[in-house]
Amino acid sequence: MTTTATHPSPAAPAALPWMSAGARLTRLYLLSRRVPAAAGLVAALGCLLWAALQWHWNIAGGAAAQLVIPLIVETGAAAIIAVTSHGPFGEAERATGRWLPWLRLGTALALAAVAFGLLAAGGAGGYLPGGSLALLRNFGGMTGIGLLAAAVLGGSFGWTGPMGYLLITEGALAGGWTTPWIWPGRPAGDLGGALCAAAVFAAGLAAVTLLGTRREDRGPASG
Amino acid sequence: MTTATAPARPAPTSRRRVPTPPSMLRLWRIELRRSPMPLILPLIALLFWFDSYRPSTSQALVYPLVTFWNMGQGHTIIDFGPFVAGMAAWIGSRDGRRGTADLLTATPRPRWVAQLATWAATATWAVLAYLVFIGVMFAVYAHRGVLGEPPWWWVAVGAIAVVTFSAGGFTVGVLFPSRFAAPLAAFGGFLALMLSSQTGFRDTSGWALILPTNSNGNFQPDSGLLYPYLPDLPIARMMFFAGIAVVALGLAGLPVAAGGGRLRVVAAAVTAVGLAATGTAVGLVSTARLGPHGIVIAALHDAASDKLTVYIPVCTGAGFRVCVNPTYKRYLTDTAAALAPVTHEVAGLPGTPVRAVQVPAVYNNSDGQGGQAMTIAGDPPVLSVPLGAYNFLPGPTGFSSISITPVGVFDQSVRALFIQAYVDAGSGPGTPAQQAVQAALLQGAGVPFAAQPGLLSGLGPMGPMGPRPGQATGRVYAAGRRLAALPAGTRHAWLAAHLAALRAGHLTLEQLP
Repeated sequence: MTTTATHPSPAAPAALPWMSAGARLTRLYLLSRRVPAAAGLVAALGCLLWAALQWHWNIAGGAAAQLVIPLIVETGAAAIIAVTSHGPFGEAERATGRWLPWLRLGTALALAAVAFGLLAAGGAGGYLPGGSLALLRNFGGMTGIGLLAAAVLGGSFGWTGPMGYLLITEGALAGGWTTPWIWPGRPAGDLGGALCAAAVFAAGLAAVTLLGTRREDRGPASG
Repeated sequence: MTTATAPARPAPTSRRRVPTPPSMLRLWRIELRRSPMPLILPLIALLFWFDSYRPSTSQALVYPLVTFWNMGQGHTIIDFGPFVAGMAAWIGSRDGRRGTADLLTATPRPRWVAQLATWAATATWAVLAYLVFIGVMFAVYAHRGVLGEPPWWWVAVGAIAVVTFSAGGFTVGVLFPSRFAAPLAAFGGFLALMLSSQTGFRDTSGWALILPTNSNGNFQPDSGLLYPYLPDLPIARMMFFAGIAVVALGLAGLPVAAGGGRLRVVAAAVTAVGLAATGTAVGLVSTARLGPHGIVIAALHDAASDKLTVYIPVCTGAGFRVCVNPTYKRYLTDTAAALAPVTHEVAGLPGTPVRAVQVPAVYNNSDGQGGQAMTIAGDPPVLSVPLGAYNFLPGPTGFSSISITPVGVFDQSVRALFIQAYVDAGSGPGTPAQQAVQAALLQGAGVPFAAQPGLLSGLGPMGPMGPRPGQATGRVYAAGRRLAALPAGTRHAWLAAHLAALRAGHLTLEQLP
């Protein structure tokens, strides 16, 4: 009798009969990225936006000040999507995952779409400056910044991108800046702002899809 | 020989040495070396430059104005707090994320104590960075020639606030260890600070003064220039923040995994102490009142803080002397030049001031810098000029972008305020007769009728500087034009005879010549 005979390798978790290999891979990928938790958090942010608009938490200031709370909520959602891109398996996953870029792309796109839907639903709670169009632009651009930050700094630190951009936006709005790179300060239908936000979203999506997020399993950052 | 008869072995003279667990100091040093907090400092430095330093460069070069945005409205805290909270959450969730929490319960130190060492290292990095960034900013200010005393009390508030954000974030990480702890802690920090700003813009009294971004009635000239910053409100805010930090750290010690039952009781007591400190601070602030030099909290107030700064004024002018605090020396020439035409216009009339002196600006309950009235009093009469209360001082006075106030706007505003004081109109426009005389005298002093509408009303609290568009028409201006059209000698004689009645408000428009 050999050790192999006495200790058979553990069987892989049984797949549900209706689930194809691709679907199972997708499910496992989504679970490894904590996508269900992320969707729950984004839903909570949608509720927060709804409450803020419904009960008028914006109590001071002009048009720029009215943007603040929706922008913070959008930033939070973008930060969560950025953090979701963090993969816990590192090199092993990169070496074996042929479908990894597609999974990254699909997950980021799907989560962004779900988040936009939930935020738009939250925006129905009251007056949302710029409406859904501005929400799409602002949130899309911020998500792009988050994904870029995840690609450069690592998925766990992707949240710093949208948060930093929020702070810059707040200062720029207070100073009356009108550059399209500060797209939340532009009117909802503004082409320049929309193009900048779309370009950043596309760049973030491309970076995460093609490069993945920066490895964090070395050095103090793994903290 | 049996064991029973064998001589007893002497007892060991000393007990076997048991290695003592590493001291808190040693744990702190280890955590300090391994902390990832420095990784986020470059980003904070960039944001600090953009959001805290850059807008301050467009202000007049006195500390209360230069630091109004970054200290008074708490933007240094906004720049640091959420990011420190996020990073602290990441550090606090370390054991949970790595799945080593159970392993670490077997270590000599209780988990909560070791976590406190980790948090202390995190807070040390954050506060150290905060103080270094502030130090560099103040050094740049000194290099640029910013005058006055830096708001050290507000620096201390910011440092304690950073400690609080680190404690709050750390506890979020300890209690909810996941990849989402960091963004949620940062998001919560942002939301809290932005709501604080929103509330701060609206509320000018009561509990809302505890909010770190509320500048209403507590950060204005001439603090740090003609009198010291009052420490009452900063002390209450530090107590508030320290209380929240203690609550957060206490909460981290409440879970079963944090340590034994006795330790958790201590953690609960710590939490209660923190809550008491926070509640006390809010209670103290609720008793605050607005004094001439800022917010006064009776229980914390030290009368020594009310003393004016002693200084030797700098003066100019041979006949009509104008004296100001040395801090305002750069505005002396412009002030004397602005006053010269109006003092010439009323020279020889009863109650004409013989000199002008600067007096401290008095706080108001908003952002300050409303056009406070000049006053004329004493024998011989002396003009008192609250120069620090004017947001139309010539030069850079912009917010967030370079905006230069022209000398012409300053001249017109100073002359209008002088004439307003001269006819004893108080801080309002005065009676119609007083308004007509003001219009005539201003015209004589080089402020044409066309530029006058709205000038005086624009100098009210929080009013914009300079004249507003409008037309110099109506009964008041008609009377003013009649008076101005008189020969100078006739006008002078009429004023000499009727100034007392005019100042008392007894004259009507019809009684003007």
